[in-house]
Amino acid sequence: MQEIVMPRMNQDMALLCLLIPLLPFIGFLLNGLGNRKFSKGLVGFIGCSTVLVSFLISIYLFLDFKANGSQAYTVDYYNWISAGSLRIGFSFLIDQLTLLMLLMVTGIGFLIHLYSAGYMSHDEGIGKFFSFLNLFMFSMLLLVMGSNYVMMFVGWEGVGLCSYLLIGFWNKNTNYNNAAKKAFIMNRIGDLGFLLGIFLIFITFGSVSYPQVFAEASKLTGLDTPVMIGITMFLFIGAMGKSAQIPLFTWLPDAMAGPTPVSALIHAATMVTAGIYMVIRSNVLFILAPTTLEVIAIIGAATALLAATIGLVQNDIKKVLAYSTVSQLGYMFLALGVMAFSSSMFHVLMHAFFKALLFLGAGSVIHAMSNEQDMRRMGGLRKALPVTFITFLIGTLAISGIPPFAGFFSKDELLAHVFEHNKILWGVGVLASFMTAFYMFRALFLTFFGKFRGPEEQKHHLHESPAVMTVPLIVLAILSTIGGFLGIPEVFGAEHVLGDYLAPLYTYARSINPAAFETGAVSHELEFILMAVSVGVAVLAIIIAYFMYIKKEEVPAEENARLAPVHNLLYQKYYIDELYNSLIVRPVMWLSNAVHRLVDVIVVDGIVNGVGRMVILSGRTLRYAQSGAIGFYLLVMVCSIALILFLNFFIG
Amino acid sequence: MTSIILLSIFGIINLFVGFMKSKRILLPLSLLFLAVVFGANLFSWNEAQSYFNHMLTIDNYAVAFTGIMVLATLLLLPFSQHYIEEANENLAEFYSLLLFSLVGAIMMVSYENMLMLFIGIEILSIAMYVLAGSDKRRLRSNEAALKYFLMGAFFTGVLLFGIVLIYGATGSFYLTDIAATAAVNDGTVNAMFTLGLLLLVIGISFKISAAPFHFWAPDVYEGTPTLFTSYMSTVVKIAGVAAFYKLMAAAFAASYAAWFPTLIAITVLTLVVGNIGAVVQTNFKRMLAYSSVSHAGYLLMALVAFNERSDASILFYSLSYALATIVAFAVLQYVSEQRNGDETYAAFNGLGKTNPLLAFAMTVAMCSLSGIPLTAGFFGKLFVFTAVVQDARLMWLVVVAVLMAAVGIYYYFKVVIAMYMQPAADAAKIRIGSFASFMLIFITVFTILLGIAPALVSDLL
Repeated sequence: MQEIVMPRMNQDMALLCLLIPLLPFIGFLLNGLGNRKFSKGLVGFIGCSTVLVSFLISIYLFLDFKANGSQAYTVDYYNWISAGSLRIGFSFLIDQLTLLMLLMVTGIGFLIHLYSAGYMSHDEGIGKFFSFLNLFMFSMLLLVMGSNYVMMFVGWEGVGLCSYLLIGFWNKNTNYNNAAKKAFIMNRIGDLGFLLGIFLIFITFGSVSYPQVFAEASKLTGLDTPVMIGITMFLFIGAMGKSAQIPLFTWLPDAMAGPTPVSALIHAATMVTAGIYMVIRSNVLFILAPTTLEVIAIIGAATALLAATIGLVQNDIKKVLAYSTVSQLGYMFLALGVMAFSSSMFHVLMHAFFKALLFLGAGSVIHAMSNEQDMRRMGGLRKALPVTFITFLIGTLAISGIPPFAGFFSKDELLAHVFEHNKILWGVGVLASFMTAFYMFRALFLTFFGKFRGPEEQKHHLHESPAVMTVPLIVLAILSTIGGFLGIPEVFGAEHVLGDYLAPLYTYARSINPAAFETGAVSHELEFILMAVSVGVAVLAIIIAYFMYIKKEEVPAEENARLAPVHNLLYQKYYIDELYNSLIVRPVMWLSNAVHRLVDVIVVDGIVNGVGRMVILSGRTLRYAQSGAIGFYLLVMVCSIALILFLNFFIG
Repeated sequence: MTSIILLSIFGIINLFVGFMKSKRILLPLSLLFLAVVFGANLFSWNEAQSYFNHMLTIDNYAVAFTGIMVLATLLLLPFSQHYIEEANENLAEFYSLLLFSLVGAIMMVSYENMLMLFIGIEILSIAMYVLAGSDKRRLRSNEAALKYFLMGAFFTGVLLFGIVLIYGATGSFYLTDIAATAAVNDGTVNAMFTLGLLLLVIGISFKISAAPFHFWAPDVYEGTPTLFTSYMSTVVKIAGVAAFYKLMAAAFAASYAAWFPTLIAITVLTLVVGNIGAVVQTNFKRMLAYSSVSHAGYLLMALVAFNERSDASILFYSLSYALATIVAFAVLQYVSEQRNGDETYAAFNGLGKTNPLLAFAMTVAMCSLSGIPLTAGFFGKLFVFTAVVQDARLMWLVVVAVLMAAVGIYYYFKVVIAMYMQPAADAAKIRIGSFASFMLIFITVFTILLGIAPALVSDLL
């Protein structure tokens, strides 16, 4: 966080900033209210165009920001809540981080909206779908633009709600509804942490607005004070829920029940990175609590590895991508834990490109296969779906960290920082990266190579998706190819564009802990070696996958086949869902049943009904007094006057 | 002052327009007049000025309350369409009386002299006696007018007696003089002063239908034509409470100890009687009468708090209460007219199916009246309660009020349940003009807007 020297405020700017979230909101209202009357084309047009205009405004803001000396500013609208010493303004903070997130959310958001217009064109509920999607955009934009924690929290809850609504979009299916509920409840656990964090921030700093909180925090001396550990741990619990980290990660794979564009937008590219955004935004606070950072790094590394191992054996194409998302989010937290905030943000961006691409590619496959998601029923699709295949291949290369694709640069930079900090965590990261390359190529080979394994009549139905779906794929593929050049390592003699751009965010943090931001601790030779190692393991993984799934044409076992114990453990996701069920869900259900029977039915209902009866009884009595006879009224009122005078003059 | 002059002139013009054959022009014309007055009133913001030897002062307090009362009239007038449809020959008189009564209401929020207070109250009340009986062919309307007049006259006597005794004790009708005399005498000049003060409190309590001087309200509200009931429970009540606060703050602040115990007793009694009384009603209009008694209680709480937050919270509460009440009476009017004059909850059965707009507007209004968040009513209550808890000793009063608000939810939601969960016996759609629909949407949006951004109004005073 840099110091906000001058709040720049002119009317045009205020309106433009407001339009960014407002347009999707208008889209939500239009589609939400009129979805029964609008044609499908109109629904799609409203949904896409509002986000496109937001994107264009974001680009303008980005350029304008640069043209005006890259000075962070706030745009204040009105005093939203004021109670006692608490003052919360409805205002936006425009700085480097906000702008990057804006571009990412609206840009990728637009592509996915466009794609959805094709993907959902056969669905009855397309109006509802687009209105929810637009509402999501509105909430997400509030989350990244707000200038205080409460606005972030409002956006945070908004995206959670939309995620819930969209996971359960096909609400005729009970499993899907359960997945939606699971996501919602798990996120609530995290949200409680976030909320406690906000309370603690307010108590400690007397404000919830970023500029004030961070300015106050930068004056603190002494690291690892209990209150800072408390604040950052609570915030991190919030991030855990939203960004699917151990132990709150099991909702994300289940969230794949939603339509695929939703998985791409919400559960891969944008919403799940909100936790990372929050930590980077609060970097001043986290710098003050090295212990929390240590915890974040360990949890991040563990999540990356755990999710990668599960991903090795999944057969549902979306499940594979879901576990890879969890794993990549783990990487990002690992980077945050070693204070490589810019590298983490770099990976957020690159991940948004290639993961959105992979999900949309998977969506294209599912679309062609008439909603079949099991890779055991696919195979040989590269001839029928050439564009999808090429773009999916690019996405796979990018996530595996093969140069010069996007994932290589971000993952390499991230791992270099980890190496500098902790060799063991680096080893875990490389191991996970090996597995990532393996399972992604496994998915690629099973889907696009070999012979088609589905039913014969389906083979004739296979078709490439319409242009409205392939254009977003191509754009994302280009971004996944060249995106990495935003952050070419110093070794190659280039400037680190992204790192330099984000540097002002850490002005306060750097003054507190200068050591964390020293660069060049890793020698150039070592950096080359690290690069070679990560590329090497990826290539090795690809070769192994090639031999298993292309040479030997291995196909994963069917559902009821007996699996080797380790394989089975992985396939059953370490039985974590079952563990949570018996450890937490069932005891809580039992307890709430007991409480319901004892406290609710007997005590509470008894009191409520009793009071209700009493109120009605006294009301009836009152009604007798209201007889309609004016003489009686006057008598009562005169007596009242007399009583008042008597009490005042002779008693008081 | 311009608003007083304009309203008087416009009222007279209205009477002359009434001679024309077509009555259609009257409503747009009256709305135009009110809009002009609303605008002209705003010019006095931050331009405090006194008139008639300081008997009237138009300060920000007066401007704010005048604005709200004119706005309330402006918002409820469009629902008088049925008078136009039936070509009521007295329509011009009704509109003129409303405009004239507003003059009285404005005097009640800008007086500096107790005679002006008295004149204001009388201008307002006499117009209301006539309007209560304006449905000449209906017995209930006649009964309402007569009851209102008889009891009103009685309490006018009480009020005047109080003013006279104060004059006797202090030698002046001016609020500043009274305050000065009271201040040098520890707030209690002599027994005559205290007696006068108590009679004043009682007299105004009657006007705002505070218990135990509320007995007229349910009978009169029920019998009065709905449009004027709506006016009575919004403008008349707001003027009364604003006048009450001004009187206490400007003249009797030093005599706090003398009136506080009485007022707090009246407040608690009003809260309890209003809310408990509303529970057992089966007639929606009669429920609204009791509800208006209970809201007088919440408004009195802000007065009881008597600190720097009182005026702003009275202002906000008045506005939120007026908006919701206007919607409630407007919907009631349409429903009962087209369902055989039925004013019970049952008349609303199935309204959610037949008229989603009416049902939604009504639901928002009921939420606002019960103080549920995201509506103006929530912040209205919140501001009043926070004003009261400034004095920690009054915490118990807030507890009572919150309990009573919970009781309120019970009877306000009866109508919501009827609208959405009861099957319609008579499934005919309620007809409502497009202008009236627009006004309903406008008020509903305004209510929600204030529930999201209360600072639009709450920071005015």
